[in-house]
Order: sequence, then C-alpha cells, then structure tokens
Amino acid sequence: MNPVVRWFHQLGSPPYFDRFAARWAPWAYGIGLLVMAWGIWQGLFVAPADYQQGDSFRILYVHVPSAWMSLAVFGLMAAYAAAALVWRIKLCEILAMACAPIGAGFTLITLATGSIWGKPMWGTWWDWDPRLTTELILLFLYLGVIGLYHAIDDRRAAARAAGLLAIVGVALLPVIRYSVDWWNSLHQGQTISLLGESKMDPSMLPPLWAMVIGTHVWFIGSLLARARADNLWRESGKDWVRKLGQVPQ
Amino acid sequence: MSYRDYVTAAYAVFAAVLLWDYVVPRLRIRQLLRSARLLAARRAAASSASEAPAGELPR
Repeated sequence: MNPVVRWFHQLGSPPYFDRFAARWAPWAYGIGLLVMAWGIWQGLFVAPADYQQGDSFRILYVHVPSAWMSLAVFGLMAAYAAAALVWRIKLCEILAMACAPIGAGFTLITLATGSIWGKPMWGTWWDWDPRLTTELILLFLYLGVIGLYHAIDDRRAAARAAGLLAIVGVALLPVIRYSVDWWNSLHQGQTISLLGESKMDPSMLPPLWAMVIGTHVWFIGSLLARARADNLWRESGKDWVRKLGQVPQ
Repeated sequence: MSYRDYVTAAYAVFAAVLLWDYVVPRLRIRQLLRSARLLAARRAAASSASEAPAGELPR
C-alpha cells in the first residue's frame, strides 16, 4: 500500500491519532506563537503609522487574520462534517467538532477588535452593517454547532446533527465575503489580496502575512489538542486509554 | 502612539482568547487522563479483591 494512504488509514485509529496529536500539537502551538510574536512586534513597533488612521490601523494585524480564520475554519469544519456524513469516518466527526470552538474564538476576536477599531474611526462601537451583521450570524452559527453537539447524549448522532448545521451554514460564507460588494457598506472593501496587488503600502504587509501564517499554525495545534481531548473522552474506558492514564504525562 | 488604549484593548482581547484556546483543551486532557488513571486503579483493586483466598469475608 502507498505509504501516504497507509498513514491516512492509521490516523483513523484512535490510539494512533492520540500519539500523533500529543506529539505535534505542542510544536504547532510553539511555532504559531513564535511567528505571531514576530508579527505583533513588527506590527506594533516597526510598521509605520497610517497617514489617516494613525496607530489605530495596527488593530488590523489581529483583526484581519482572525476574520480570515473565522471563515476558513467554518469551511474546514463543514468539509470534515461532509466527509464524516458520507464516509462515516469517526475522526472526521471529531475534527469537525473540534473546529467549532476555535472558529468561534476567532469570530469573537474579529467582532471585538472590529468594534474597538470602529469606535475611534467610525464614531460607534457597532453598526448593523452587512459585513458586521453577517459576521455576528457566523458567531451564532458556531455557537449553534457547539450547543447542538453537547445537547445530544449519543456522541455520533450529536456530531452528525451538528455537522449538518455546519454544512448548511457554509452558504453564509460567500455572503460574508462579498457583502461589501453587494450592498452599501460602512465596512471598507477588499484591501489585501492573496494573489493580486494589495492596496496597502508594502511596508505594512510583512507583519500581516506573519500573523496570517501564525494564526493558521496555531489553529493546527489547537485543532490537534481539542480533537485529542474529544478522542480520549469518546474512548474513555478502553484499554489503551487506561494504559495511557498510567503513563506520567 | 495615538489611540494607544484602543490598540491595547484589541491586542488584549486577542491574547485572552488565544490563552483560553490554549488552556481549555490542556485542562480537559489532564482531567480525562486522571479519570483513566482512577478507573485503572479501581479495576485493579476490584480484580485483586476477587482473587482473595476462599473463606475471607468480602469487603
């Protein structure tokens, strides 16, 4: 068998996944933290202040990567949920449900930091603007997935029900993404482009890309740690978990 | 730095949520492993009690 395919099959084994997650989660956390620390340092103390917004623009170094993560994590959660529904892969259920609290955290950061930036720049903490409102709905969707998963006793049935909600909720992602183009919005349009030319000054971009990479790597660590916890919970009582409990961690 | 308070508040929110994101799964894993350890100890005690010599009163 192809080694990659074999590894993929092995990863579906709960004890193997536990060892994998225990080994790689600290690395992902550590690397993510280092990259973000560099990004924050550059963003706060090295990048020049904006000619109109002054230093308040520095909030975007935490706001924009979190906003991108809030969308990306939801998309990934729906993809895992779809794979779990179609192929009945238990690990995909676990990974999908592990995505939800992390995505909710990033959505909360997006809304809070956007609000904090909005007060001095727009003169208000909140406006029922299409981008802000759809991002708030995204937070409610995340909370709905988390709530549904914990409301049903049967773990597998709970993951399937919550996964279905995640799959339906994916329809919101393009609405959030294009809300600034489709409607008159107080929120600014696209400033930073992954492939094309960005409207930001190039001297302001390196910290932003560092934060984007750092949050992604951090997410991998958090996903592995949360999935490991859920995996241990589902498997509690099995021999391999009891043996693991006897090993000092 | 202009708007210092706003910038500080935004970065504090970011740090607080990431800290929560780091701590919660670690605490959960620790708690689950502790439960597994206690369960293993209980089962070991139960099996040693069932292997007690005949005539001994069950505890």
